[in-house]
Amino acid sequence: MSSSARRIVAPVFGIIVFGLCWEVFVRIFDIRRFVLLPPSAIISEFADSPSFYWENALTTGRHMMIGLSIALVLAIGAGAVMASSRFIEEAAQPVLVLILVTPWVAYITSVVLWLDGGDPSIIFMVSFTSFPVFTFGVVGGMKSADPAARELLASVDARPWEVLWRLRLPSALPSIFTTARFAMGLGLAAAYFSEGSALTTAGLGAIGRRAVSFNNAEVLWTTIVSAALLGIAGLTVISIAERYLLKWHASQRS
Amino acid sequence: MSARIELRGVSKTFGVTEALAPITFDVAEGEIVTLLGPSGCGKTTLLRLVAGLAEPTAGEISIGGDTPQQARRHKHIGFVPQSPALLPWRTVEANAELLLDINRRASPASPTTSVAELLDEVGLGDFRSAYPHELSGGMQQRVGLVRAFALDAQLLLMDEPFAALDEMTRTDMRHILSRLCEQLGTTVIFVTHSIAEAVFLSDRVAVMSARPGRLVEDKTIPLRHPRLPELEDTDDFFHLTTSLRASLRNGMNR
Repeated sequence: MSSSARRIVAPVFGIIVFGLCWEVFVRIFDIRRFVLLPPSAIISEFADSPSFYWENALTTGRHMMIGLSIALVLAIGAGAVMASSRFIEEAAQPVLVLILVTPWVAYITSVVLWLDGGDPSIIFMVSFTSFPVFTFGVVGGMKSADPAARELLASVDARPWEVLWRLRLPSALPSIFTTARFAMGLGLAAAYFSEGSALTTAGLGAIGRRAVSFNNAEVLWTTIVSAALLGIAGLTVISIAERYLLKWHASQRS
Repeated sequence: MSARIELRGVSKTFGVTEALAPITFDVAEGEIVTLLGPSGCGKTTLLRLVAGLAEPTAGEISIGGDTPQQARRHKHIGFVPQSPALLPWRTVEANAELLLDINRRASPASPTTSVAELLDEVGLGDFRSAYPHELSGGMQQRVGLVRAFALDAQLLLMDEPFAALDEMTRTDMRHILSRLCEQLGTTVIFVTHSIAEAVFLSDRVAVMSARPGRLVEDKTIPLRHPRLPELEDTDDFFHLTTSLRASLRNGMNR
């Protein structure tokens, strides 16, 4: 089998085996439907109303992408400042750690009240939870820029924005892509949970929350699997962008 | 284009460590001067002071009448660091143009020699679209030379640029550098540990003592130009290297 064929066949094989084990496990142990639904029931539920799940997945995807994009842009700005000043970096670190470790599910109600629910509160939660992860990645990456190249740029009096654009930001790209994978997981969780709490009717999280209220295991588990597929799609986009933008990097060379 | 360099009582202290004792020293226009001395004697520190990348503790430096900071601002200094410091995401040609892209207002309107011509001159004409990881160490350092010469700078400062290369490549590199310097008539301050390199390239060799670095000998190299590779097999070359080795040994013992 060629390596390109193997890259497709192996994951598909893994997923099929996992799905079969899951199905057998649920049936053998007769697990309650709300605790764990068999994959066949989830596929059946999805096949009954694909457009319903597709549209809500798009809504969740939009929340996630907008939130992550905002977090990334803010992290690049904050990271650039932190990477250029040890004092600012040390002052900002405890704040970022605080945001990172504080359980966001505990204060989500306050955010919903503050922003009147809806899209703003969902996007805020996605951005707020992923911002520290992105910032740590950006700072680490920017600080890894080759000191000899920094000195070289200084020898022709490069402006700070030139150093950022020509050296620090490209140097940070590998680290940004690595942290983007973690941020994607965090952002998806934040989007799903926030939709369920933000007095909104659209999004996988919102229909998942309603399904819990109405004891509807089929809808709940189909939103969970849809969210997982959304995450896989997001990670695929990151991998494709990484392959294109980091073709110069050792990690992308065989 | 070249410049006269004047150092008057230049010294440098780091905390309580005296790195450089006061040094008074001139480099004439178009002259190639090598700083030769044991490790840690302050050669690189002296070069960084002339490049305006560090401030002297005392004394003054003039580059064609400008301070090092003014010369840096006007891009009158071409700096070649010890490592090639190529940006891995830029092609050979883009790397060679890097310093022209920075602080563009100070770039030469019509350089004496274009980047394409310089790349041809150093044998990299066929590698313009290659990335640094596709080049050998010697080829990478040749790109570093082109990047510095492309600036059309009055002064080239070279900090052991061939230190990491094997002996054969290193010999080739000094022949290439000598040819470029002959053609363009640039003033050069070159730092090296290699006595053969110093003799082959220089009009003068300044021998420095161990820390705190001071000039212990300023030796004129009376070899004719142009200097061709065969020169290294002559008696004159052998006598000069022997004499410089003795000076270096004396410098280490002072």
